[in-house]
Amino acid sequence: MVIYLKAGGELRVKLQPDVDEYTRRVETEAGKSLREILDDIGLNPAFVAFAFKDGRLKRLDYIPSEGDIITLQPPVSGG
Amino acid sequence: MLSEEEKERYGRQALISGWDQEKLKRTSVFIAGLGGLGSASALYLAAAGIGRLHLCDGDRVERSDLNRQVLYSESSLGSFKVEEAGRRIVSLNPAVSVIGHNVFLDSRNAEDITAECQVLVDGLDNMEARFLLNRVAVRRQIPFVYGAVHGWQGYAAFFHPPRTGCLSCLIRPEILRPAAVPIWGGTPGMIGVIQAAEVVKWVLDLPPSLLGRLLIYDGSGLSFEIISVEKDPNCPVCSQT
Repeated sequence: MVIYLKAGGELRVKLQPDVDEYTRRVETEAGKSLREILDDIGLNPAFVAFAFKDGRLKRLDYIPSEGDIITLQPPVSGG
Repeated sequence: MLSEEEKERYGRQALISGWDQEKLKRTSVFIAGLGGLGSASALYLAAAGIGRLHLCDGDRVERSDLNRQVLYSESSLGSFKVEEAGRRIVSLNPAVSVIGHNVFLDSRNAEDITAECQVLVDGLDNMEARFLLNRVAVRRQIPFVYGAVHGWQGYAAFFHPPRTGCLSCLIRPEILRPAAVPIWGGTPGMIGVIQAAEVVKWVLDLPPSLLGRLLIYDGSGLSFEIISVEKDPNCPVCSQT
């Protein structure tokens, strides 16, 4: 199964995009959670503040479907 | 009742459909943190004529603040931010009452110093204090206007439990946070003004555009994205409200 992960802000460098400057194509097994997929590609889930798909927030226990495009956002804490 | 001077001062905004200057004058807003975000939101809320601004920060002004904290100038260096901000705001709009809290927000003072306010604005620079302010807002069921910045990127949201989720529905406490935050002034300027606009809309009974939603602003590619933040049924803070 293939999904696409996008990253905003300073998370882009950690994601290592390969489709365009924001997006990485990821081959994974169906049934894995987003957290497990992040672990598999070597991206520590603790670097992800939240994720969303189609304008809606997704928890890291979300199980992606084929072709999903999921955006990962970094912690932003400055004021 | 507005004075003749106030009618003149606010004349241009009073032309906007649905504007109610008296309501703004009757409102007390709490701004936690007087850095880049707090500078922008405080100035625009004061200029708009919010009646009472509670300003909270225990820090002094440093030279490295001046690239983004537009409440201050070179002559402010070494002074307490609350005092400098109060002077600046009163010079901008003497009709605004400024109540300064020269402390850092913590669990011992948060309830007391926010007690009079109808809305809490986040200008903080750390997640611990944000989560604390969020808990106060959830307990009192008043709006918490979230803002945060890093580099070219900024987030803003308007949480008002129990109608919406809260900050803890969005961000997990266990995330790793960068030790030093790179920033240029335009990012907190943009987000702080958006926070101020959301406050004004809420006071005027116009639906805040970010009610239960998160704005993700990226100045490097000039993108604005808005996502829904649904209530997390397992949220440790707001799920019982």
